[in-house]
Amino acid sequence: MTTKQVFEYMHHAPDHDDPVHGAPMKVNMGPQHPATHGVLRLAIELDGETVTSIDPIVGYLHRGKEKTCESLGWHKFFPHTDRLDYVQPLLNNVGYALACEKLAGIQVPQRGQEVRVLLMELSRVMAHLIYIGTTSIDLGAVTIFFYSFRLREELYSILDAYTGHRMNNTYVRIGGVYADVDENVEGMVAEFLRTAPARLDEIEKLLTANRIWHDRNRGVGVISVEDAKRLSLSGPNLRGSGLAYDLRKAQPYSGYETYDFDVPVGTVGDAYDRYLVRMEEMRQSLRLCTQALERLKKSKGADVLTEDRRYVLPPKGDVHSSMEELIAQFKIVSDLRLPKGEAYHAVESSKGELGFYLVSDGSSKPVRCHIRAPGLMNVQAVPVLGRGRLLSDMVAIIGGLDFVMGEVDR
Amino acid sequence: MGSLKPVEGEGVGFLATRVDELINWGRKNSLWPMPLGLSCCGIELMAMIGPKFDLARFGAEAARFSPRQCDLLVVAGTMTWKMAEAVRTIYDQMPDPKWVIAMGVCSSSGGMYDSYAVVQGVDSILPVDVYVPGCPPRPDAVIDAIIKLQKKIEREDPLRRLLKGPENKPDIGTGEAFKQPNAGIARSSLDLHPHDPKAKLEELQK
Amino acid sequence: MTAPQTRERVVKALEGVAFDTIDARDGMLTLRVERAVLGELFARLSDRAGFDQNTLVTAVDHFPAEPRFEMVWQFLSYDHNDRVRVKCSLAEADAHVPTCTPQWPGASFSERECFDMFGVRFDGHPDLRRLLMPDGYLHHPLRKDFPHAGIEPDRLYREWDKKRREGWQPNA
Ligand code: SF4
Repeated sequence: MTTKQVFEYMHHAPDHDDPVHGAPMKVNMGPQHPATHGVLRLAIELDGETVTSIDPIVGYLHRGKEKTCESLGWHKFFPHTDRLDYVQPLLNNVGYALACEKLAGIQVPQRGQEVRVLLMELSRVMAHLIYIGTTSIDLGAVTIFFYSFRLREELYSILDAYTGHRMNNTYVRIGGVYADVDENVEGMVAEFLRTAPARLDEIEKLLTANRIWHDRNRGVGVISVEDAKRLSLSGPNLRGSGLAYDLRKAQPYSGYETYDFDVPVGTVGDAYDRYLVRMEEMRQSLRLCTQALERLKKSKGADVLTEDRRYVLPPKGDVHSSMEELIAQFKIVSDLRLPKGEAYHAVESSKGELGFYLVSDGSSKPVRCHIRAPGLMNVQAVPVLGRGRLLSDMVAIIGGLDFVMGEVDR
Repeated sequence: MGSLKPVEGEGVGFLATRVDELINWGRKNSLWPMPLGLSCCGIELMAMIGPKFDLARFGAEAARFSPRQCDLLVVAGTMTWKMAEAVRTIYDQMPDPKWVIAMGVCSSSGGMYDSYAVVQGVDSILPVDVYVPGCPPRPDAVIDAIIKLQKKIEREDPLRRLLKGPENKPDIGTGEAFKQPNAGIARSSLDLHPHDPKAKLEELQK
Repeated sequence: MTAPQTRERVVKALEGVAFDTIDARDGMLTLRVERAVLGELFARLSDRAGFDQNTLVTAVDHFPAEPRFEMVWQFLSYDHNDRVRVKCSLAEADAHVPTCTPQWPGASFSERECFDMFGVRFDGHPDLRRLLMPDGYLHHPLRKDFPHAGIEPDRLYREWDKKRREGWQPNA
């Protein structure tokens, strides 16, 4: 793509011959609209078919997570982190656990980190598959939904075998993960890694060179790197504009610096670029999973949870047989005290920078748990990207920005 | 089609049934769900329509996003008080007869969100036919709920309702008898489910 | 643990602005300032120190201690790959701070959220409305004196419901 083309895309006036200029019209999109990802409401003002102003109204899924954390305590908040960005539950778990560990100042054992990387990357693939599925449904390519869900079902089966539930697994703990992956799960992941690239190719074959997909996505929702930065966009939306900033590379955690993977970037910054970036990210995630799996094979038998018993739950088997362990478990679940202070930790979620800002006063009740939701920033960009475009472009813009309301509203 | 009885005659073959049962048979096998995917449960709802679980096997895959075309409201996810108005509007816009499935603990009872923003169970604002526990319920569980609902539809009495006309009760707005223990607001007589067995019982007692 | 280059750069950019640095547990460079210098501070951080992304704007409620609120801003610089945190204490009686939306338009929703949740006003914000709770909600949920179960959570719905029933036609 040459600079000239980029320029044309950016200043692409809506090319339509619209007889009904002049009479502004207000259209309400949502909160229960099939093409919004969840319960987002957009109050749109139209001039003919052209969007003149957009007011995103969020909060229809505000469940009071931050307050919940403050009243429940550190450990009991874990299940609630799953339901933030509910298409990638385990990644959110890890984000919160990392922030708590930073506050507590503890290290996760090597194998625990490897399991986490595996889980995080599988979650990323899950999240991007939802993006592909829902966005293509919105744009009329219903088949893709079935293709992406077929792949997602395989991931569900893996998580089902590993954690016992398909979604909202809550399998990460402060100091590691709840249980080790066994051979069965490893085998399933290996099988998935063997078949997934071909499945992704199938999806790409149907979309990447598809004329309709091009028409609906290319040149839609263009944003420059500078604007994206100032709008606090992160993740694939920022990389789609061309800045190769990935927290996994820039501020590595869980040993990401030792893995070998690439950060895909776009060139134009439109919805199509974001799509390409996400497709490539899925492949990179598969690469990461392969590496993590190899390491897991080598480190068999090592701990996945730290030994530091101040913050870590005792093994389940001991809890049933020993009084001390039972008391320890009870204390950690209901009365875990993290040291006084504050900590911020951000992970690269599938939507962008997912950060947890925790403030503790040394007691068992958190003073503050702020969740820096990348989705909220993505919603914020909708008016900027949508102004001056056609109403039908809104669907592509919303889909391309990719947010999940559970995280936007918290 | 259990209610159809083949009648054998000389040279003719036809099926005999009751109109009631025919209507019920038609209704139960062509539920048009309105997937109200509010949050996490909505993802499982998608999975249910998706390739592995394939809701089409039960005649309920024709998901429509317009309430005017639907007769089954699947409330999948956490409903907040801010969203409640929209949900109630959607329910009001659906044509009779209509049924509601509360999918997940959030919509059944508020679930893990005992907080200032969340409705403690959609039954405080809507009449619910089937509750599905689970966080999120597995798609199998929801399919089971749909089968249960089909059984329930089978037992309904559509003709009688048709002849008698719809219940035309003035909206009293108190509905003390149906106050749920967890309901934030009192239910009115209008919220009586048209196919509610309790209503039927009352009717018979009159 | 703060990288010395970051500290150096920030100190240089903030020449003439009064601030303290505190040691945060996570090692992030943390500045504590008075409200009066916030506007100047934002401009300097944005233009001279090169912080081009606003990560978060939030508050911490230390009820019943005074000053009650502690505002927290966090910024990220993509070029230098580092972060800075800014803090400022506010009394409950005049809980308002200058907005940072001129420098970082992306802070707009965060500020609206903070206003919604804590009732801290942002002077100069172009569109300071509630973000998550409905308009007309009377409380600020994340304040410590607000109960988790809420105060009359269904009030607005009930009002709406009353209106709905006025024009109700059961047969229509
Ligand atoms: S029941 Fe669980 S999965 Fe379903 S919406 Fe509620 S929290 Fe989400």
